[in-house]
Amino acid sequence: MRIFISGGCKNGKSTYAQKMAKDQSNPPHPLYYIATMSAKDKEDEERIVKHQAERDGWGFTTIEQPRKIEEILDKHDCEGSFLLDSLTALLANEMFSATGDFDGSACERIAAGLEKVLNRVQNMVIVSDYIYSDAHIFESLTEEYRKSLAALDRLAARHCDVVLEVSYTQIITHKGRDLFNAIY
Amino acid sequence: MVLIFGGAYQGKLDYTLERFGRSKDDVHFCNDTDTDMPKGKTVVYEIDKWMLAMIKKNADATESIKQFITENPDAIVICNDISGGIVPIDATFRKWREAVGRAMGQLAQNSGEVVRLFCGIPTILKSI
Repeated sequence: MRIFISGGCKNGKSTYAQKMAKDQSNPPHPLYYIATMSAKDKEDEERIVKHQAERDGWGFTTIEQPRKIEEILDKHDCEGSFLLDSLTALLANEMFSATGDFDGSACERIAAGLEKVLNRVQNMVIVSDYIYSDAHIFESLTEEYRKSLAALDRLAARHCDVVLEVSYTQIITHKGRDLFNAIY
Repeated sequence: MVLIFGGAYQGKLDYTLERFGRSKDDVHFCNDTDTDMPKGKTVVYEIDKWMLAMIKKNADATESIKQFITENPDAIVICNDISGGIVPIDATFRKWREAVGRAMGQLAQNSGEVVRLFCGIPTILKSI
């Protein structure tokens, strides 16, 4: 299944996503973790180490792919089970360079890559972050980022078989309820 | 009245136009500077922005929403859900956040149908 999962921060999305990716792994095809974080400082490095420790013992093969998501298709077994965590990081990496430059075409590029991936890979869990309910008028770059992430979310939701929202460890099924309930 | 809400960019307007067979010509687009009550259109987009305009000018946004509800029983109202982020440091945004929260409750109670959009997918929360 292709599963899209989003929600607020620290509510258990990543843990659910890891479990679902593992559940639909199909040995001898690998269980892949697509690492999207590109460390910019020590804090990032520590976070990455923490994430790695959390995945320890799950049997994930890690793919470092902070940019150009479509490249996973050429380098890896497309019949494997993939976990992409997260769209949020993928977009940040392509939209804002380490030197602080802004790339306005990042969203379109990722959308095209993601569409290729979702048309080819059957078993994938995609994690995103719901950052759309702030009581704030953001400056234009942040607003552009939110708008772009929402566009990627909606594209992923269209292509996925199941769309889930996690609300404080509880799951709301927005799409593919029968499919999802048959398994969980 | 119908209330369509959800976070920013979740597909609220696209859904409304398709579902109710309307075009952008039928839509009043609110903004955060115009305090006049929306009128003359069947769809009111981002009513929260109208509330922000009023709050910035110290007008009574809560009273205006009550009046809007009374005068527009057939309106289709689209509202951004701004209740989910952290409490804003800026007092204007704090007032806005609370006023919109209360207004959404009133709009929902006075609506025959309430729909929440998530990634373009509707969930009907209330339907008569």
